[in-house]
Amino acid sequence: MLEADVEVDRREFSLRAAIQVAPGERLALFGPSGAGKTTLLETIAGLVPPRRGDVTLAGRVLTSTGRPPVAVPAWRRQVGLLRQDPGLFPHLSVRDNLTYAPSADPPGAELTELAEALGIGALLAAMPARLSGGQQHRVALGRLLLARCRALLLDEPYSGLDAILRRSLTALVVAMVTERAVPAVLVAHELADAQAFANRMAVLDQGCVLQVGGPDEVVLRPASRRVAELVGYLGFVPLPGGRLAGIHPDRVVAGSAPERGVLMAGLLGGCRPSGAGWEVDLELDSGTVTARLPERPVTDSGELILTAIDPPLFGPDGASVSP
Amino acid sequence: MAGALVIWIVLLGPVITLLTHLSWSEISSSLTAPGGLDPLIVSVESGGVTLAVLFLLCTPLAWMLARGTLPFPRIWEAGVLCSLLLPPLVIGLLLVFMVGPYTAFGQLIAHLNLSATNTFLALVIAEVYESAPYYVLGAQAAFGSVDPRLEQQAALLGDRPRRVFRRVTLPLAAPGLAMSLAIAWARAMGAFGAVIVIAYHPYGLPLQIWTTLQSTGLASALPYALILLVVALPLPLAAYIWSARARGRRRG
Repeated sequence: MLEADVEVDRREFSLRAAIQVAPGERLALFGPSGAGKTTLLETIAGLVPPRRGDVTLAGRVLTSTGRPPVAVPAWRRQVGLLRQDPGLFPHLSVRDNLTYAPSADPPGAELTELAEALGIGALLAAMPARLSGGQQHRVALGRLLLARCRALLLDEPYSGLDAILRRSLTALVVAMVTERAVPAVLVAHELADAQAFANRMAVLDQGCVLQVGGPDEVVLRPASRRVAELVGYLGFVPLPGGRLAGIHPDRVVAGSAPERGVLMAGLLGGCRPSGAGWEVDLELDSGTVTARLPERPVTDSGELILTAIDPPLFGPDGASVSP
Repeated sequence: MAGALVIWIVLLGPVITLLTHLSWSEISSSLTAPGGLDPLIVSVESGGVTLAVLFLLCTPLAWMLARGTLPFPRIWEAGVLCSLLLPPLVIGLLLVFMVGPYTAFGQLIAHLNLSATNTFLALVIAEVYESAPYYVLGAQAAFGSVDPRLEQQAALLGDRPRRVFRRVTLPLAAPGLAMSLAIAWARAMGAFGAVIVIAYHPYGLPLQIWTTLQSTGLASALPYALILLVVALPLPLAAYIWSARARGRRRG
């Protein structure tokens, strides 16, 4: 079990966060830039000292500001960190990179098997500069696995890669984490990346954890209006009683279906292609809401009715309320 | 292209002139004269000791400057630049006041039967002061070119700081360090301004050129100039070739 309960002072904000990740569990830290996600990872890795707090891994205290204070140095933590830059050593071959860690076994059957599983078996003699971005990330992942890290920290590792490669690498990491039963934490600012990886998500904003839950729960039942905004709700429609319904563009259907959620009737403000469907703007008295529909809406008068499916509701203070 | 060639030839002018004004008989008679090889030996030995001193003492300073681990780093850098800006002759004069026989340092080493004027030690001290800033600034740039995240990654993989330095920092900075050492070597071999003040004896090659010029004229001094060039040049050339190959290997 990886546990961190820390407070860290940064120039722009103070981070206060507590997370727990079980062996084999995958937690995604999701939030905007500057939310403190990377700071939390670096604190767990021992690269940033917290002002207050504790970090423990498998019952071993890595950091503690209590008495006596504990600060296990990064090289003794057995915590692997993978960043957007894979950080391969340019003067070493792929084989030497893979077996770099002192805890890694000398080149042998395990190296060969892992290299084949990662699809880099033919590249062991190559230098990192000859590899593509995806191959470099596979080598970096293999290096962490051969180092026998007891926790895996991933700091937006694939954000520079194309979507197909990102998906295949994410699937690879998920499989490896499950197989080796290590706790894994991914930092992501793209919701799709976080959901593809995680079986639990924590939403961070301005140094605070706003909500922790399943990747579907956080999106379908955001704990506050701010969480809703972060996970992609683009419109908030006032309801009787001072409540607001959060409108997610992907959870809207054309037409009137009052039994499924909240009806919205207004004027079509705009319509443009979006992926395989259409993104429309609906002008309401309270403002504009955006929806993504599978088909282009047809309207002669310009009037349009949409239904927001089972939208989350928020009180005047922004907190979630029951329907 | 043509303009670059003209500039290149103009820059090489002194070397071309040297080669066209030499005769093998003069070189042979200079080297075979009694004690003719002594200046060469003195220069090579003092240059070697100077490089060892620079590498051992100045490499950690350059690393700390590059990593910004020192408080008030600009002041430290300004100190290194100061010694670069001082004319070598002035360095020699000041060294007399610093390590001469009537100074505290001079009296201290006198107890060990050593002297820092007109000795091999004095020659090394003068060469160190003339070449150190070139090495420190070059080595600082070499260390600065190593991505600190690679060092962080090595630490996270289980390497202690010393091991990170040996396995990552040093190999990655090595091409730049080699070039800095080569430049320091060339500076040490050609050191003259400080040397003539504090280490007139024993003669290294620059002093030999100067005294020969004064005693027997220009033609007699030229063979020593060629020897200086031949001795000083291979190390920078080798460092350059090695650096280029090391960078090429990294590119795969």
